[in-house]
Amino acid sequence: MNNLKLNDTPVRTSRNFNINNIKLMDVDIPEIIDDFNNLEIIGEESQVQNNANINKSKLIYGLGTELEKLNEKSNKDLKIELDSTDEKEIQLNFKFDDNNLTLLENIEIIANENSKSTVILKYISTNKEKAFHNGIIRVKAKKNSEIKIIIVNLINEESNNFISIENNIEENAKCKYIMVDFGGKNSITNYYSNLIGESSENIINTIYLGKENQLLDLNYIGELRGKKSNIDIDVQGALKDNAKKHFKGTIDFKKGSKKSKGNENEFCLLLSETARSMALPMLLCTEEDVEGNHSCATGKADNKQLFYIMSRGFSYKEAMKLIVRARFNKIIEQIDNEKLRNEILQEMNEKLD
Amino acid sequence: MKNNIDEINRNVYDIKNKDEYEFKIKKGITKDIIEEISKQKNDPSWMREFRLKALEVYNSLELPTWGPDLSELNMNEIATYVRPKTKLNTSWDDVPEDIKNTFDKLGIPEAEKKSLAGVGAQYDSEVVYHSMKEELSKQGVIYTDMETAVREYPDIVKAHFMKCVPVHDHKFVALHGAVWSGGSFVYVPKGVKVDIPLQSYFRLNSPESGQFEHTLIIVEEGASLHFIEGCSAPKYNKVNLHAGCVELYVKDNAYLRYSTIENWSKNMLNLNTKKALVGKNATMEWVSGSFGSKISMLYPMSILNGEGAKTEYTGISFAGKGQNLDTGFKVVHNAPKTSSVVNAKSISKNGGACTYRSLVRINENAKNSKCSVSCESLMLDDISRSDTIPVSDIRTDEVEFSHEASIGKISDKTIFYLMSRGLSEEDAKAMIVRGFAYPVSKELPVEYAAEMNNLINLELEGQVG
Repeated sequence: MNNLKLNDTPVRTSRNFNINNIKLMDVDIPEIIDDFNNLEIIGEESQVQNNANINKSKLIYGLGTELEKLNEKSNKDLKIELDSTDEKEIQLNFKFDDNNLTLLENIEIIANENSKSTVILKYISTNKEKAFHNGIIRVKAKKNSEIKIIIVNLINEESNNFISIENNIEENAKCKYIMVDFGGKNSITNYYSNLIGESSENIINTIYLGKENQLLDLNYIGELRGKKSNIDIDVQGALKDNAKKHFKGTIDFKKGSKKSKGNENEFCLLLSETARSMALPMLLCTEEDVEGNHSCATGKADNKQLFYIMSRGFSYKEAMKLIVRARFNKIIEQIDNEKLRNEILQEMNEKLD
Repeated sequence: MKNNIDEINRNVYDIKNKDEYEFKIKKGITKDIIEEISKQKNDPSWMREFRLKALEVYNSLELPTWGPDLSELNMNEIATYVRPKTKLNTSWDDVPEDIKNTFDKLGIPEAEKKSLAGVGAQYDSEVVYHSMKEELSKQGVIYTDMETAVREYPDIVKAHFMKCVPVHDHKFVALHGAVWSGGSFVYVPKGVKVDIPLQSYFRLNSPESGQFEHTLIIVEEGASLHFIEGCSAPKYNKVNLHAGCVELYVKDNAYLRYSTIENWSKNMLNLNTKKALVGKNATMEWVSGSFGSKISMLYPMSILNGEGAKTEYTGISFAGKGQNLDTGFKVVHNAPKTSSVVNAKSISKNGGACTYRSLVRINENAKNSKCSVSCESLMLDDISRSDTIPVSDIRTDEVEFSHEASIGKISDKTIFYLMSRGLSEEDAKAMIVRGFAYPVSKELPVEYAAEMNNLINLELEGQVG
């Protein structure tokens, strides 16, 4: 059992605010790492190199040295190199079952120049057993490439889910993320994007849903370096029961990022009086000619909306589901894969029951 | 296109008087020094003990691990108590010439004549002048320096002194508890409305020293008050320290507006603490202009303890060369139906750094509360810095909370529009900045104006208009 201090924000604020990092008590960090064999690849398998010799350079941020070091003992190293220009989709399903309860994976994704592609990473539990997941994903979006990365976390609510993401986005490259964060007793994400190229673009759309005693800690950091670069973070979530969420989002306009834009928006719907939502949307700026906006809002479902839907014959619970679904839909609809979309909607319905 | 909005012309504030004093304590913070201060100030024994306890807390606490770098602060180089060569005066004529001149130039007696119900002026560690309109004292309003209050109203002071801001809050509050000197005490009895503002002015003249004034204001049920605080100091090469403490008690149905115009010199470390406890249906308004100091860490706080309590914060900071102004607001909603509105602005220029740092906490019991926060930052060049670090902590569902912030430069389109109407580029820019600052400047009493308006105008018109 270990106590972990993870996911430091790039700039500290008062310790009394309890948001500079997250402390987890009594986390079972696996010592013996067995193979992880339940990986299903849908799409062009040749793009994925298993047990590849991949980039494991030190992360700029990451969740913390302890977890980064842990992945030196990884049981999955995957390199995905994307060349196609026809927006082909490749899906990797990591399934946790009785024989595969620990996954420490390093994934390197390279979107080559002018390529257009979609990568789906789905993490799902097929049982109620406590699993441990620590993933490090490094992405390089080369010049003029377009890449869409969909990360879906449907791990059971007993497990620990840790993900660190690091993106380098070059000139004119577009990197879009859709993240669905539903699972895990603790689901802790560190997301870092380095928008180094001129006119580089990074869009992040996240939905999260917490219930019972789930804890979500999202730490998103975007550093804009290239001229006319653009980052857009949109996070929509709902919390019920005693669920707790920390959203920390940082947009950092570095010197030289003239004419860049950064937007950040977080909305948290509270579905119970004991749910707790914390947010720290930071804007850091050392460049004059930029435009940065952030907003965040927290509250319960609008009574008028509820009344309207219930007057059409829906129960309170159904009405609530519809409201959450309406908020989530604009993000879910961006997933082209219908099967996956339905799977997410089904999980959402179950969680809200 | 570069902007010519000038930094604040500090000539008036930089007038230095000779460092003359009746008594200046040894530099540093030790038990002996604290005991000596206590002796010099003729403290009652409870206060002496209080100071020593605060010193223990000070020694046990760490410097903040966040915010601006405070490494240049060496407490062994700071004299925490400097008594000027005068006693407390109630007539302006009795104030020694050099001290009087300083305040005259800052426009303090003028302001008193025109628009204030009372004035207090502190020079270094002691209050040198205090006066209040007679009709107010007849109504039972007390406005005096803190030392007199400790002597004459011991029960009220004992019940409130550092109860709102406990010495354990942070290291500099503990320091304040140990070495505090001067400051104002205001008591407004039940139902009394003080229509025209009271004002205290703090001036630190002595180099390598610190000012640690304590302001304690109690506004009883249904009463109302507007209090204005101004601060300045001439510039020396060594750092000076200001670690004041402001405790405000706004009882049920009461109203308090606390306005600050801070223009410390640019060698000042301004590590001030301000907090208000707000009762049922009471209103607490903060208006804050931060212009001076080298480093500021200042986050006024409202704790909304009574049902229906309200608070509002309107603040602006202007950071020029070498300045790091880390300011903001903290609010805790601790009762149902409470509400807060925050409107913060900042301007960074010439390498200055502005940070807006804040906390909004809505507790489990604060059902049906509302909070809305807006902050805007303006960058006037690309060597400056502007950060926004707002934390929200929402612990119940029946709330409406929203926060929005933006950062940017003056839009070219707006400048173009104004120029097409015949304004020069500089005038257009100055007009936009003036408009940007207007929501704050309009909250200050126009008649008083001696300082904030001066500052805003100098800033905007200096080289421009």
